[in-house]
Amino acid sequence: MTDILSVQELSVDLGEFSLKDVSFGVPEGSYCCLLGASGAGKSVLLETIMGGFYPEKGKVFLRGKDVTSWPPEKRKLGIIFQDYMLFPHLNVFENIAFGLKGKGITRVEYEEKVRQISTQLHIQDLLHRDISTLSGGEQQRTALARALITKPEILLMDEAFSALDLLSREKMRKLVRSTIKELGITVLHVTHDSEDVWALADQVAVIHEGKLLQHGTPEEVFCCPRPGYVAGLVGARNVLRGRVEECDDMGNSVIETQGECIYSAGNWLLKGSEVISSVRPEDIMVAREEMAISSRNQIRVTITDTERRGPLVWLTGTHGKLHLHAVVTVSSYESLELDPGSEAVFIFKARAVQILEGSSGRSVDLPSSIPDCVSVEDI
Amino acid sequence: MEKMGIPLGKTSLEMGNRIFRAALGGITVLFSGLLIWSVLSLLLMPEGEEIIESALSSEMIYSVQLSLMTSLLSVIIVMFLAVCIGYVLARFHFPGHHLLRTIVDLPMAFPELVLGLCLLLLFGHGPLGDWLKGMGIHVVFSKWAIVIAQVFTAAPYAIRVVYGTFRGISPRYELVARSLGCSQMKAFLRVSVPMARGGIFAAAVIAFARCMGCFGTVLILAGGTRMYTETLPITLYLNISYGNLAMAMTSGIILISISLAAIIVFEMLNNEVVL
Repeated sequence: MTDILSVQELSVDLGEFSLKDVSFGVPEGSYCCLLGASGAGKSVLLETIMGGFYPEKGKVFLRGKDVTSWPPEKRKLGIIFQDYMLFPHLNVFENIAFGLKGKGITRVEYEEKVRQISTQLHIQDLLHRDISTLSGGEQQRTALARALITKPEILLMDEAFSALDLLSREKMRKLVRSTIKELGITVLHVTHDSEDVWALADQVAVIHEGKLLQHGTPEEVFCCPRPGYVAGLVGARNVLRGRVEECDDMGNSVIETQGECIYSAGNWLLKGSEVISSVRPEDIMVAREEMAISSRNQIRVTITDTERRGPLVWLTGTHGKLHLHAVVTVSSYESLELDPGSEAVFIFKARAVQILEGSSGRSVDLPSSIPDCVSVEDI
Repeated sequence: MEKMGIPLGKTSLEMGNRIFRAALGGITVLFSGLLIWSVLSLLLMPEGEEIIESALSSEMIYSVQLSLMTSLLSVIIVMFLAVCIGYVLARFHFPGHHLLRTIVDLPMAFPELVLGLCLLLLFGHGPLGDWLKGMGIHVVFSKWAIVIAQVFTAAPYAIRVVYGTFRGISPRYELVARSLGCSQMKAFLRVSVPMARGGIFAAAVIAFARCMGCFGTVLILAGGTRMYTETLPITLYLNISYGNLAMAMTSGIILISISLAAIIVFEMLNNEVVL
């Protein structure tokens, strides 16, 4: 797929916020999320792509054309902000029809277009309402209708669901997903919420302090995040630094970390190399005793901390210098009596160990025989 | 307090708060009372018949008509300038931005007489005045001078209000409008100006009140010629000089009524204005 949008070494300095040498591309027809915490520079990047800010360095390309110096109205991009920016002096109909006026189409034609898009977004009964009387979800749908009615080549969304409550957010995600798919529009969506990424994106770029740290599919970024900021942002809680003690040509290995041996599978590592690995808390099963199952990693720990978050309980288990986080349901927590100070066993599969950094590569990339590798059985 | 041997108990705290509130309240009531008294003294002093007679005199009718006509024309000019300059100051960042703000605000800090003197030099004997004379336009001591004096006096106030209003409107509204195909000018006319209409109207009200009450600048630039460049404040000044108290008070009452109406309208619109 070719990139409909690409930015190359983009640098913007607004004093409070800045971007530094950001480069990435958005394939045509894809839904790309820019993930980052508040103040990361996501909105600045979006507004620079839109044409609101002129970059000090770098270029913005749309369909291969350099549009860096183009005014926003020539770029054919739609934009939705977190607070929607609906024009308060116009009603819902006038807001949606705003982009059609002066385009040489008759009133009957644009009324038909407004009717179509408003029906698609379930706001056909709100057309004569004042903006101030709309709920957050209704405002969101009006903003979406206003942006989509002009058929932009790319829709830019800036924290578009952040102001909505949980229920409205889920509804909007479904509505956006279906509408975007139907219209075949490319989307670049700035968010700090990883749920948006999982629910909507097929591409994700992580941005921090104005720098692009990682770019890939959600699976790539969430399952193999770069150590440090990206790993923390996407919830890689059990980040372990260690050394490969043993490995074989099947991709199995033993990693020594904090005095414990962790079994890993599907990661072709080199013996003796330093690696940073991670196990997602939700991949760890918690039991009171070791279990006779295929999972090789069974670590006896002492529960040192518990934290209830809604229907789940986050546990911190300690074994010597090794600290691991796991998550269980409240009922499991109560039935297993996992109070602080109690003993438990954290169980996880060798395949649950993700290598964030280290000498690794797929088997096809490796030579047929790897020196210094020994077979690790039954991992 | 404990070091001083006085325990800071609940009672002493309450007493301190009461004294503080009473002092602030007293100052507010005293000043407001004096202000109301001074206005009432103007309204209550003259006889009703004298007021009506003065109000219907040819001089007063001329003065009111001239004040209204020049003020309305001035307000149109002032608001055009205020919307343009207020928007430039609120939206564009350029070297000398702060300097321009200060320059625009300068006439507010000037005594009106000094501003009038500056304008007299500019339009009287300066290159601009000579050029205008060459074109056959005699500004100084004419009715045009009243308009110029009013514009320069009122514009800084209006610019300040309009600037504050545009600053309170997120530039993202314009970015959205431009993403929908508007040029920068169309986004300004279709989005920013309608959204700022409350502030623009409030600025116009303030500007009108300032134009109607403009005295020192008008006196210096237009001269206080009876029945020619005689606006309401000039009527008040001339009649005080002649000892005609009823005429002076009548013009004072008309000016106060216009100012009060302007303040009420401004307060009603004030919620929409971010200063």
